[in-house]
Amino acid sequence: MIRVRMPQKKEELEIPGPKRVMDILAAAGVRPTTVLVTQGRKLLTKDQRVEDGETVDIISVVSGG
Amino acid sequence: MKCKRCGKAAAAVDLPSHNSAFCPECFFVFFRRQVEEGIRKFSLLSPRDRVLVCVSGGKDSLVLWDILLDLGYDAEGLTIDLGIEGYSDRSREKVMAYAESRGKEPIVVDLRREGVPIPEAAKKSRKEECSVCGTVKRYFFNRVAASRGFSVVATGHNLDDESARLLGNLMHWHRDHLARQHPLLPEASDGLVRKVKPLWRVSEMETAAYGFLKGIDYVTEECPMSFDATSLVYKEALSHIEEKMPGTRFNFYQGFLQGRESRGTFLPFPEEGAAAGGEEKAGRGQAKCALCGAPSYTETCAFCRLKEKVGKGGRR
Repeated sequence: MIRVRMPQKKEELEIPGPKRVMDILAAAGVRPTTVLVTQGRKLLTKDQRVEDGETVDIISVVSGG
Repeated sequence: MKCKRCGKAAAAVDLPSHNSAFCPECFFVFFRRQVEEGIRKFSLLSPRDRVLVCVSGGKDSLVLWDILLDLGYDAEGLTIDLGIEGYSDRSREKVMAYAESRGKEPIVVDLRREGVPIPEAAKKSRKEECSVCGTVKRYFFNRVAASRGFSVVATGHNLDDESARLLGNLMHWHRDHLARQHPLLPEASDGLVRKVKPLWRVSEMETAAYGFLKGIDYVTEECPMSFDATSLVYKEALSHIEEKMPGTRFNFYQGFLQGRESRGTFLPFPEEGAAAGGEEKAGRGQAKCALCGAPSYTETCAFCRLKEKVGKGGRR
């Protein structure tokens, strides 16, 4: 399973891998233009493949106010 | 995916709106050029300027300070502690840590000490938090800049912010707001310092990516007061359009600015634009506040009126 963390929402989910980043975002219900997807200090592009057992973070970039 | 600029390294940032993808090094070049072009296009800054950068601890303002320093500008930071429990402390910590990493010491205004912490001020004035926050921030940006000899105030508003604001202004036909929406508000002789938005060409995602790749530690949590901000509704709508038609957001905002350049006003009713004050008068004060001396259209400025309400405990 791929561990998907969304720290701002304080949510976490597990998705069967492997999957491309854009498919992870679709599964998490997140618009690609509103987030960064990171793995440690690495920034992932939407076409990158994430393997089973790996962890990614989805960081929202939208600020309001 | 390979970087479309160097063709060698793996891409780290894909930008459908530019039909491109960059490795970190090439993305830095791209981002820097976008900001430089944004500054050049409207002569936002000159090398002689003393720039007061308004830093909240979020990605946009810290990235703005970072890139202005890298571009060689004389840029100092101003941070306003909003008095929001927990969130303000964490934001301030990020600002202080970044400033230290660049050998800087930011100017700090603490709204609790000023008697107008945002949660209390909003409650007692019976206004929305974001509206009160905007009033207070604009007041201190100008006051600090004017009193300390800064020639310009720079804020981290990006393309997403400005296009969302434009959509909101259009949806409600806020003609006076449309007349003064621009990356440059010139200084005025009555004490208003020039205000600029050097990040107007770059998206929120690009700013966040730049901050992340540069290792800038910014606050990622959202302000707890802004969860129902109307700007988020417009951003959401534009994100949906942008995903289907990449580049639309930039065309939307740039088209608005180009329309203003060519016709002198964006408004489809030029005579009303002139009556509303158009480009020259818009947003610029006409007199001085009787209480604090700040530029103001009315006898007392919006900040002093707010402070009075807070002092009275919200009585009307």
